[in-house]
Amino acid sequence: MDVLSPKERLLRSLKGEAVERAPVICPGGMMNSAIVDVMKNHGNVLPDGHRDSKIMADLALDVQADTGFENVGIPFCMTVEAEALGSDIDFGTLKCEPKIAKEIFPSVKDVIYKEDDALVKSDRAGTVFQAIYNAAGHSPDIPVIGSITGPLSTAASVVDPMNFLKELRKVKDESHRFVDYVTNQLIGYAQHMVDNGASVISIADPTATGEILGPKMFGDYAVVYINKLVDAIHEMGVPVIVHICGRMQAVTQHIANLHADAISVDALVSLKKLKEEYPHLTTMGNLSTFLLEFGETPNIQRSTEQLIQDEINILAPACGLSTSTPLQNIQTFTGVAKAV
Amino acid sequence: MEKEELFRQIADAVVEMEEDTVEELAQQSLEDGIDAYETIDSGLAKGMERAGQLFDEEEYFVPELLMCSDAMNVGIDVLKPHLKSENVSKKGKVVIGVVEGDTHDIGKNLVRLMMETGGFEVLDLGRDIPPAEFVSKAEEYGADIIGIATLMTTTMPGMKEVVDILADKGIRDKFKVIVGGGPISPAFAKKIGADGYARNAADAVKVAEKLLSNTDLALGA
Repeated sequence: MDVLSPKERLLRSLKGEAVERAPVICPGGMMNSAIVDVMKNHGNVLPDGHRDSKIMADLALDVQADTGFENVGIPFCMTVEAEALGSDIDFGTLKCEPKIAKEIFPSVKDVIYKEDDALVKSDRAGTVFQAIYNAAGHSPDIPVIGSITGPLSTAASVVDPMNFLKELRKVKDESHRFVDYVTNQLIGYAQHMVDNGASVISIADPTATGEILGPKMFGDYAVVYINKLVDAIHEMGVPVIVHICGRMQAVTQHIANLHADAISVDALVSLKKLKEEYPHLTTMGNLSTFLLEFGETPNIQRSTEQLIQDEINILAPACGLSTSTPLQNIQTFTGVAKAV
Repeated sequence: MEKEELFRQIADAVVEMEEDTVEELAQQSLEDGIDAYETIDSGLAKGMERAGQLFDEEEYFVPELLMCSDAMNVGIDVLKPHLKSENVSKKGKVVIGVVEGDTHDIGKNLVRLMMETGGFEVLDLGRDIPPAEFVSKAEEYGADIIGIATLMTTTMPGMKEVVDILADKGIRDKFKVIVGGGPISPAFAKKIGADGYARNAADAVKVAEKLLSNTDLALGA
């Protein structure tokens, strides 16, 4: 039987304190679970919800109620940050999430720097803050997670990614200046999320993977700027989840250097092994989203039980969910997680 | 300098990402009267092949591979005007793109790069491509292979749609379909009825070569 409220359980888990069972969550942002089934059930739909704080908050609450995830996750995409810094966004459709239509600058050398509060003053960010405020007021026992696109992914959404990746090596000074600027924007963004009621911040940085960057660039950039962001959020008194995409072998040695309160990983990574290697790490994940979309109920049950048996600290999908994931499959996942 | 030594130095300069050296050596090859195609094939492409190998072995990562490719392209720019058209033979035609809903095209760009270096003719559709467009462009272009990439789990069903459209139109056998990208596994490739799964850009070339010579190998069947 549950003793703790979902919020207490998640916050305690992130502190490494004892809980009666692992929470089961889905943080929003890159990893959001605004699936078509939920939108059709209640009529709060995307893409409208990306620009309307009421729809955004209502949809986040619908998702929480229908799926059984023990958090509210806001927003539902990874474009808020880049749009505020100048890139063009395609808002997608009900089924298809928004994306960067065009990065505004071809090179880090072309970046026109805005004031450090450009992101927090943007319309999109305002929508997110208001939605967080509404959702947090609605159910105080359910934690609201504010989701942020990480420094390198935001940077690679503002500068052409192919050039950006080369310039991390070729034009180091300007690349550092630019990523630092992006990080400062994100710190302000996180601060306003916290001020409006977010009790956890989750950072997903899919460009900052070992597979793309390799160990050297991951250490020189990803670790440095993700930690700068995490440290700043810690000063606000709020715990941070960091999600690392893809295979991790190339950068495993850096993972323990991240200051995050929990590390969330992709389905390809064995959390069990990661725990063995770094026993102090709070682990989160990593039910395959492929399984969630196409799997049979018994397989979803078994895989969830395996995560519980492996003592994964926080149960969550391994990555972004497909919008056509059947609601019933998610309910199977959260149901098994809660039945412990 | 001996021709072979020059080729070796060009290949090394590509691997070392040294654009200026590549440019100088390419110029020198022309002054020495060496056939431009031979310099591209035995020097530049060899270097890029080795870069691809280092990428496969996780010695090099995306930034390094892109810089090697820039170095190679500097050399190609020097040599291209001197190519005689008759010695350009291609292994096959490939249409590639990133599935609709996904604008991450780093992986796809690497595949194009390695495919072109590996001797394939490539039509790059770009990113965020609807399934039907893969099919219509492949027909128009007379492609042998359709390469579909995605980085996002959410767009994986689009890959299946491409295969389904081919089947519906009764032209499934005309094309080999290769899928790849972050969330894709060989099991997924099999499940949706693709012909091949490529682990990374270097692997894509090998899979494409296998598929055009022998149908059954690429999925380990």
